Amino acid sequence: MNFLSFLTENLETFLTYTGFANATPGHVVMIIVGLTFIYLAIAHEFEPMLLIPIGFGILIGNIPFKDAGLQLGIYEEGSVLNILYQGVTQGWYPPLIFLGIGAMTDFSALISNPKLMLIGAAAQFGIFGAYILALTFGFEPNQAGAIGIIGGADGPTAIFLSSKLAPNLMGAIAISAYSYMALVPVIQPPLMKLLTTNEERVIRMKPPRAVSQTEKIIFPITGLLLTCFLVPSGLPLLGMLFFGNLLKESGVTRRLAETARGPLIDTITILLGITVGASTQATQFLTWDSIKIFGLGALSFIIATTAGVLFVKFFNLFLKKDNKINPLIGNAGVSAVPDSARISQTIGLEYDPTNYLLMHAMGPNVAGVIGSAVAAGVLLGFLS
Amino acid sequence: MLFVLLMGVQAQRATSLKINEVLVINQDNFMDDYGKKHPWIEIYNSSPGTVDIGGCFLTTDMNNPKMYPIPKGDVLTKIKPRQHVLFWADNKPSRGTFHLSFTLDPEKSNFVALFNSDGRALIDSITIPAGQRVDISYGLIQDGWDQKRLNEELQLNSLYKGGDKLWVYYDGTVPAGMNRAREVTPSSNNVILDSNEKVENFKENDSTGVTMTITAMSVVFIALIILYFVFKYVGKTAVNLSRKRAMKASGLSKEQAKEVASESGEIYAAIAMAIYEATDAVHDDENTVLTIKNVARNYSPWSSKIYSLRELPKK
Repeated sequence: MNFLSFLTENLETFLTYTGFANATPGHVVMIIVGLTFIYLAIAHEFEPMLLIPIGFGILIGNIPFKDAGLQLGIYEEGSVLNILYQGVTQGWYPPLIFLGIGAMTDFSALISNPKLMLIGAAAQFGIFGAYILALTFGFEPNQAGAIGIIGGADGPTAIFLSSKLAPNLMGAIAISAYSYMALVPVIQPPLMKLLTTNEERVIRMKPPRAVSQTEKIIFPITGLLLTCFLVPSGLPLLGMLFFGNLLKESGVTRRLAETARGPLIDTITILLGITVGASTQATQFLTWDSIKIFGLGALSFIIATTAGVLFVKFFNLFLKKDNKINPLIGNAGVSAVPDSARISQTIGLEYDPTNYLLMHAMGPNVAGVIGSAVAAGVLLGFLS
Repeated sequence: MLFVLLMGVQAQRATSLKINEVLVINQDNFMDDYGKKHPWIEIYNSSPGTVDIGGCFLTTDMNNPKMYPIPKGDVLTKIKPRQHVLFWADNKPSRGTFHLSFTLDPEKSNFVALFNSDGRALIDSITIPAGQRVDISYGLIQDGWDQKRLNEELQLNSLYKGGDKLWVYYDGTVPAGMNRAREVTPSSNNVILDSNEKVENFKENDSTGVTMTITAMSVVFIALIILYFVFKYVGKTAVNLSRKRAMKASGLSKEQAKEVASESGEIYAAIAMAIYEATDAVHDDENTVLTIKNVARNYSPWSSKIYSLRELPKK
C-alpha cells in the first residue's frame, strides 16, 4: 500500500467517526430543541438555572457519534456521562435537591396560617387528572403514574418517581416537567383570570403573624413524623426536605444549612440538569410517547391550577368574612417554587397595587411540595 | 461496643434466611457440579441486603444443631438480596461448601433446620412429610413467605388464589384460578414473575384511574389535614405562651396582651424602624462612605499574598 492510498483510507475512516457522518434528522431536531431552551433561558430568563444545564445537556447528548465502543454515550455503561447519570437512574440526586430546598424554604407563612396547606393538597388533582388521561391514552398504570407526577410541578419528584416506575420515559417526563415549570408564567395567569371575579381578586388577607423559632423547629420534626408514618414510601424526598429545614431552623447548624442550600444544591442541580438533558438522545427520545407526554404534561398543569383556584373559592364558602382567602393564591398550590407564588403576587398587584400576596402564596406553594411528595409516595407504594 | 453492634446486625441479618424449597427424591432433576443427582435444600435470603450464610449450621436433628457447619470464607456463601443458594444432601462434605454431611431419607419424614452461627438460635426449620414423590419438590408458596405474610395476603387480597397452605408441592400442575403451573425451581424463584402484579391489578380493576385518584387524593388530604390541625394548635399554644410572657415581663393586662403575638412581623419592623429613625438616625450626612477601595479585610492565611510569595534564600 503506498503512502497516498493509506492516507486517504485513514482520512476516510476518520470521516466515518465524525458527527457529520452519523447525524440523523432526529439529532438535528433535538439540537434545535436544546438551542431553543438555551435561547429561552438567556433571552427571556425562563428558569435559567434549569434550562441552561438541560439545554446544553441536550446538545451534549445529541452529538452524533459512531457506536464503536468508545464509551461516549450516556447509555453506555462506564462512560463518564453514564456514571454521572447514575444519580438520576438510582434516584439519589432528587433527595439531595430536596435537602437544599428544605434548607432554603421558610415555612413560616404556612405555620402562621396552616389552612393554606389544604390548597397545596387540592392542586395535586393535576397529578391524578393526568393519570386518568394517560390511562385513556393507553399507557400502563405505572407509566401513567410517572406521567401524572408532571402535574406535581416538581422536577426532582418527577425524576425520582419516573426513575422508579417507568425508567424508559424518564427523559421525556423530566424535560416536560421542567419545561412547563418554566412556562408557568404563560400557563397560569389566563386560567386565574378566567376563574375569578373582580371582587375575589382584590380580597385582602390578614398579614401572617410572626412565628416563633420553637414553632419553626417543631414543624420539620412533626412534619416528618406525621407524613412519613402515613406514607413511608415518601421517605427519601420528605425525609431530606424536613431534614434540610431543621438544619435551617435549628439555628445552631448554620454552616450545614448554608452548604445544603448553596454549594450542595448547586452541584446537584448542575449534574442533574446536564445529565437529564443528555439523556434525551434522539434515538431514545423522539417517539410518539414523548409527544403524548408533552401534551399530558400541559393538561396536568392546567388541571392543577384550576383545582387550586376552584378549591380556594369552595373553601371561602366556609370561612368568615374577614378570614377569606384570595383565590389568586390558589394557583400557588402548583409547587413550582417560587414561580407560581410570584405569579399570584403579580396578578394580585394588577388589580390592587397595594395588595401583596407573595407571602400568602408561599404557604400553598411549599405545601404543594409536601403534597406532591406525598402523592409520589402513594403512587410509588401502589405501582412499583 | 461497635463490635457488639456489628455482631447484632450480622445476627439480625442471618435471621432473614428461609428454607425455601426441598427436593427429597431426585431422580431426573437438577444435577450437582459432579454430574450427580442428590436431594437438595434451597435457602432464600428474604432481606434487602446481602447475607453471608457462612458460619451457620444445617442439620436434620434438633438435638445436634451443629451437624453441618457451613464453611466460612467462601464468597459463594454470600447470598445477594432476595436470591438463593442450593445445598446438596449427599453426605459428601469434601466435595465443597454446598455438599452437606447428611442425606435425606426418601421413606420417612425429614426434619431440616438452619441454625445461626452460635449453634443455638434457630433461624428456620421445616418438617418435610413422609411419602415424597419422585422429582416433586416441597416449597414455600412464595419465596421467603412466613405464616404472617400469608395470613396478611389472605385477609387483604381478595384476588390471591394461592390457597391457604404455606408449603405446597411443586408438581407441575396448574392450581385452580391461577394461570401458571407450579414447577420445580431449584436456585430460582418459586414463583417466577413475568409481570408486575401490582400494575396488573390496577390495570384489571381500575382501568379508568378513578380508584387511584380517590385513594391517593384522600391520602394527600389526610396528610395535610393532620399537619393543619397539629399546627393550628401548636400556633395557638405559641401565641398564648408569648402573651403570658409579655404579661409577666411588662405587667400588661389580659386585654392589652391580646394584641401581642398576633401581629405580623411587618408591624414590628415598622415600629423598630420608626424608633431607630426617632432616636439616633436624625442627621443629614450618611455615615457610610462610597469608595472604590476594597475595605473589607477578611484576613486568612490561606488567602494571604505574603505567604504565597516564594521566598528567596537569604544570603
